[in-house]
Amino acid sequence: MSSRLRPSVLAVIVSCAATLAGSGCDNTITSSEALPPLEMASLDSNAGSWRMIVLSGPTQFTVAAPAAETSAAYAAELAAIKTAQSNLTAAQRGSIDYWSGGGVLRWNQIVRELVARFNLPPAPRPDGTYPVPDPENPFADPQFPFANPPYAARAYSYVAVAQYEALKTAWYWKYQFHRRSPARIDSGIRALMPVGDLPAYPSEDAVLSGVTVEMLKVLFPAAVAEITQRAAEQRNAALWSGKAAASDIAAGLALGKAVAATLIARGSADGMKNAVGNAAQWQALADSAVARGEIPWISQESPPRPPMLPNFGLLQAWLMTSAEETTERPPAPPSTSSAQMRQEVSEVRQTVDHLTRDQLAIAYKWNDGAGTYTPPGHWNSIAAAYVRDARMSEVRAARVFALLNMAMHDAAVGCWGVKYTYFNPRPVQLDPGITTVIGLPNFPAYPSGHSTFSAAAAMVLGYLFPEAAPDFAAMKDEASISRLYGGIHYRSDIERGKEHGARIGGYAVRFAQQDGAN
Amino acid sequence: MKLSTVRVFLLLAPLAASLRAQTIEDGLMMPRAALGTGFFYAHEWWSQYWEGTLERYNGNIGTLTTQSITWMAGYGVTDRLNVIALLPYVWTRASQGPLQGMHGLQDFTLAAKYRLLSTSFTDRGTLRAMVVGAAGIPASNYVPDFLPLSIGLASRRFAGRFTLNFQAHAGWFVTGSAAYTWRTKVTLDRPAYYTNGQLYLSNQVAMPNVVDYMVTAGYEQGRLCIPISFSQQRTQGGGDIRRQDMPFVSNRMDWVKVDGRVIYTLPAPRELSIRLGASRIVSGRNVGQATTLTSGLFYTFHL
Repeated sequence: MSSRLRPSVLAVIVSCAATLAGSGCDNTITSSEALPPLEMASLDSNAGSWRMIVLSGPTQFTVAAPAAETSAAYAAELAAIKTAQSNLTAAQRGSIDYWSGGGVLRWNQIVRELVARFNLPPAPRPDGTYPVPDPENPFADPQFPFANPPYAARAYSYVAVAQYEALKTAWYWKYQFHRRSPARIDSGIRALMPVGDLPAYPSEDAVLSGVTVEMLKVLFPAAVAEITQRAAEQRNAALWSGKAAASDIAAGLALGKAVAATLIARGSADGMKNAVGNAAQWQALADSAVARGEIPWISQESPPRPPMLPNFGLLQAWLMTSAEETTERPPAPPSTSSAQMRQEVSEVRQTVDHLTRDQLAIAYKWNDGAGTYTPPGHWNSIAAAYVRDARMSEVRAARVFALLNMAMHDAAVGCWGVKYTYFNPRPVQLDPGITTVIGLPNFPAYPSGHSTFSAAAAMVLGYLFPEAAPDFAAMKDEASISRLYGGIHYRSDIERGKEHGARIGGYAVRFAQQDGAN
Repeated sequence: MKLSTVRVFLLLAPLAASLRAQTIEDGLMMPRAALGTGFFYAHEWWSQYWEGTLERYNGNIGTLTTQSITWMAGYGVTDRLNVIALLPYVWTRASQGPLQGMHGLQDFTLAAKYRLLSTSFTDRGTLRAMVVGAAGIPASNYVPDFLPLSIGLASRRFAGRFTLNFQAHAGWFVTGSAAYTWRTKVTLDRPAYYTNGQLYLSNQVAMPNVVDYMVTAGYEQGRLCIPISFSQQRTQGGGDIRRQDMPFVSNRMDWVKVDGRVIYTLPAPRELSIRLGASRIVSGRNVGQATTLTSGLFYTFHL
């Protein structure tokens, strides 16, 4: 018997080992978001006339005329590029390859990474209280910021809008001066990334580098060293690749920084400073719910944590007036003492007690909780693939991310405003028998943030990429229902959230219909 | 020691070994055509855990309890080649907070243990050396991305192990064992994750390999065998749990554990043995400071 068994047993073990060696020893993970070198489908030469959002127009910032292509100064710049190209290191070639995928797309990836890194709530102190992240002391524990979904929505939107405004301005000046790329002027300079007919002055890579680094220094101050290094790398890649000369880059960098200053000034006065609120205010929210005869939200964390950004709903929106924010709000949620609410609580209980593996997969796919790039980051990831595949010019790519992220920022403002109007409890609070398969967010339930973000995002992306609109709608529905599967939202949170988000997304669509870019 | 006593031990040794041989790590072999099988129950709990290297309590978890029932079987293909199979069913729960416990079949493990050497070492005992190849594969489609409530890490594994055992005629024994475990990528339900200082825009997670070693000393007399072990796991890479973050499947999970067991062979039926054990993690990184109690019944057929 043993002699018959032995070979088969060994065969099983060896085949297991072989399976493992085949799939396992190659343990490298490649990003699913690889970016091929950007060959722009269109130069979008009229982008200098596209409608501005914050700036008065493309001439709010003047870019001085460049030296002639025939000047001695410019000849020296060309010579410097040749010298650089003859001595490129592997690392320098690596940064050229990296940035050739497109500056807007690369920076979008970097911002998502920063959000994921900083999206952690402060740990409690030994006395059961929580410290508040301090922008004046960003390297301390807790680190600043806590890049939770509203913070992240705002950060994505400020970066995207600043880039979009700066690039429209750059495009305007590019077509004032029509200066060519070094690789187009001098046959001794190789084009190490795609160099098209887009005028080089001011350099769009340097504009992006300058505007983004200034925005990120304010939004993620603890990452300043890394951000600054990446931005410098982007400018160097433009230079080494023969795409831009030193003066193209200097003009772009200055323009980018100037536009950023305008956006930073807006951000310092948009209401974010007061979004955390104070203990008296938090108590007043609960008292107000009780006065209306409702059960107020109570933090289910241990120790109890103050609610997340109760005054975020008061922030200045991008595309809506505060009156419009109010009129677009959904109606009140079902009363906590109503039969409908009992039924909805029961539905959550039934759902989490009988989750299928597919439902669990949906809950985790869209969880986007602490430590991740958040739901707005998820939608940026989704959009990035479409932007890449459409081979958009930098300015058109920036338009997509600006429209998408303005809509999600305004969705965050709208959703948070409703959440703290009703201060509605989570399912777990009304039925302690409910368990969750994802982390329980520490803010009121009604309406669902995921649903609001996703509906706004799907509305905007469906307009910009109409062939994929049904896919975006399906993703929106899946992201929304994932919160019921997770055990953290009632059905009416989801339905009203989706409707609210779609109305908010409509503002961005109407802006896009008349912005001159179609 | 009188010669007669030595003879008695030598005569008893094969039977005792067949009843005690139970694990991939131990220094024992089942004789040819012996089939041992049994079930083990383990009850593990922790309330302190290491967030990276910071030991802490988390009020949103309270005490994390993991229970498991493991089916185990060992078979002596020959005196020199044993095969061992393991299949645990695992339940988890947290005593505080709303996070849902999970349960399900965890990983099926199949191992082959081959004795390289068995020789008298001086006149005091026997020295044995053996190698083990073990492969593990998830036995169900469980969620690895909900730690610490997940029931396992959902990686396929292959381990190569070397074990050296000295069994003194006087009843003492010592065993040293070390293994290297290769682990395959894990696929998550989500399209991106952040770990070890980097955002990965992928649902695939590279799993660092693992080194472990164990030193066991024990004594056996008659029907009783008492091994005490000191063991250590070192993960060869992976990130720490960040401050106030959840654990992640590829974290650098390290621990040092002490473990004591009692194995008692019943007078009748002599094929049945009872095992009781207790272990405690004394230091760790990205793991709970777990205490584990185990009990089991193991029956040996001589085919």
